[in-house]
Amino acid sequence: MKPGLKVGLIGGGTMGSTHAEAYRVLDNAELVAVADLVPERAQAIAARTGATVRSATEIIADPSIDVIDVCVPTYLHRDFVVAAADAGKHVFCEKPMARSLKEAEEMKAACDKAGVRLGIGHVVRFFPEYIRAYNKVHSGVVGKVAVVRCTRGGFALPTAWKDWYANYEYSGGLVLDMIIHDFDYLRWLLGPVERVFAKGTRGRDYNRLEYALVSLKFKSGAIAHVEGSWVNSGGFHTRFEIAGEKGLIDYDSRKANPITLTVNKAGGAPGVPVPASAWAESPYTTEIRNFINVLDGKEGQIVDGNEGYESLKVALAALESIETGKPVNL
Amino acid sequence: MKVGMISFAHLHAESYASALKALPGVEFVGIYDEDNNRGKEWAEKLSVMHFEKLEDLLKTDIEAVIICSTNADHCRYTVAAAEAGKHVLVEKPIATNFADAHKMIETCKKQNVKLQIAFPVRYLPSVLETKRIVESGQLGRILAIKATNHGSMPGGWFTEKDKAGGGAVIDHTVHVVDIIRWMLGLEFKEIYAEYDRLIHNIETEDCGLLTMELTNNVFATLDTSWNRPSAYPTWGDVTMTIIGTNGVLELDGFSQKFDIYNNDVKKAQWEYFGGDMDYLLVKDFLEACKNNTPVKVTGEDGLKTLEVALAAYESGKRHQPVAIEEIRN
Repeated sequence: MKPGLKVGLIGGGTMGSTHAEAYRVLDNAELVAVADLVPERAQAIAARTGATVRSATEIIADPSIDVIDVCVPTYLHRDFVVAAADAGKHVFCEKPMARSLKEAEEMKAACDKAGVRLGIGHVVRFFPEYIRAYNKVHSGVVGKVAVVRCTRGGFALPTAWKDWYANYEYSGGLVLDMIIHDFDYLRWLLGPVERVFAKGTRGRDYNRLEYALVSLKFKSGAIAHVEGSWVNSGGFHTRFEIAGEKGLIDYDSRKANPITLTVNKAGGAPGVPVPASAWAESPYTTEIRNFINVLDGKEGQIVDGNEGYESLKVALAALESIETGKPVNL
Repeated sequence: MKVGMISFAHLHAESYASALKALPGVEFVGIYDEDNNRGKEWAEKLSVMHFEKLEDLLKTDIEAVIICSTNADHCRYTVAAAEAGKHVLVEKPIATNFADAHKMIETCKKQNVKLQIAFPVRYLPSVLETKRIVESGQLGRILAIKATNHGSMPGGWFTEKDKAGGGAVIDHTVHVVDIIRWMLGLEFKEIYAEYDRLIHNIETEDCGLLTMELTNNVFATLDTSWNRPSAYPTWGDVTMTIIGTNGVLELDGFSQKFDIYNNDVKKAQWEYFGGDMDYLLVKDFLEACKNNTPVKVTGEDGLKTLEVALAAYESGKRHQPVAIEEIRN
């Protein structure tokens, strides 16, 4: 058994599996238990990590566990985070923080009352290209920022447990689930948002093709545009362009692939080129490392409950604007 | 066919002049410019006549004029040329206000001369191919459009409100709005805009972002910002992402380019090698004049794009979406 903090993971889907890998790498935390409603998924993670498969209730009640990592669908975040805080556990919770501001407030209050740390998984703040760009902007490379454009997506609507991403009441769609990453990054880069105006396919003729365009005005004066797409345009990609008084930063993940692999299928049929990523460390690991090191007193926290709450506010404002056709002031 | 040019205030004049010089069967007669020295210099450079008075140019047997004045002067030059019986190709935007635009359209109609607005992007081969693909139905029904028409800050009268009618918003709204109307057969219903002077020390806004509601339940955004720094490898862009029920098309209109790295320049440069849209525009306009066929881009088309730009300015004042119908008259 490794020294350090004992972690229980609730939810073994895509993000839960990814977080489980991070704990394998860290030397000051250990994943000791995993819970999932689908036993095979929990068993697969347990087999890879040495964790024990248990129920969520058992994990939260176990006094030997220090940290609960919550990777369940968005609409269930509040229940698990509050229960974990009430049991005196530190909590790391996937983004978006919650489905509503009220739920997020309850989560913050529970953690404050219990005196435990809450971290929210806004992992984009840990991606090297986004960190580099942030540092370049703050070292004055573009001067005062004027207009920022962000893009995220380009793949069909994700399918998951009970198709919860497709259920607006559960997930909030791509604005709340995915481009909240960009809202969070933009808030980090530019400070508070003044006004949001947005349009999306939801409420029109949605049919599982979700696409949204969001216009943001920041208190700094900067203007931003965020594109989110769950429509297939060749696969997941991200872009950002940061234009300022004296310079411009331009990033397109499709142009920053170190490896493009094309393998012919059986019979010599041409295959589909698939970009492979090449990280020294997964940003998901860096994100978890930060939270664990915060608990160890080694690092300052990058995304706490308040940060998660403020980014949630922007995403919910965009959803409100899509629904009402009016701008929303923050 | 004999052709004259009125004013070299707009940067595009040079490229239209080259087209006139290059087109077979076209005689570029001469230039009038309200700035006498500028007119003289260009006339010498292009080996054409220089006219110190507008009426002297309009008295000649030219059949058509190309007007590249400030936006505010479009109306008076168009009206003068039309009343002299000359066909008119006028730089965009058609005018800086509705009254001028209506006067231009009505005068040309009354004088039975052609009026075309210079929207060269319609002639860009990649744009024509995009139109063909959209019309083939491959994308299915169109749901949304994301567009940009970025540029560098042009300076001069472009940044004076009384001469240009505004800044980056009026300058760079009209091209893409025209393309969307023409390519997709959609009309613009409601405009929301964020714009501001954020980069340059000028009178007008230099950044703009429009969010728009169109017919057929389609929505779109358009970034009009003059935010390409001087270190940028080119002047700007025209891009469109078209989201359909059956596919997505991404157009980057000036992506037919190669990169140049040269020690004397100290910055990367993009060399565009795609079709010359200005040449194709001038050629098409003069053919319409010669054959007496309808022009491709009418005064009404110009007016529709001006409506969107003026609605954007109104929205920016109110911080609310503005219906085109509301500002139309």
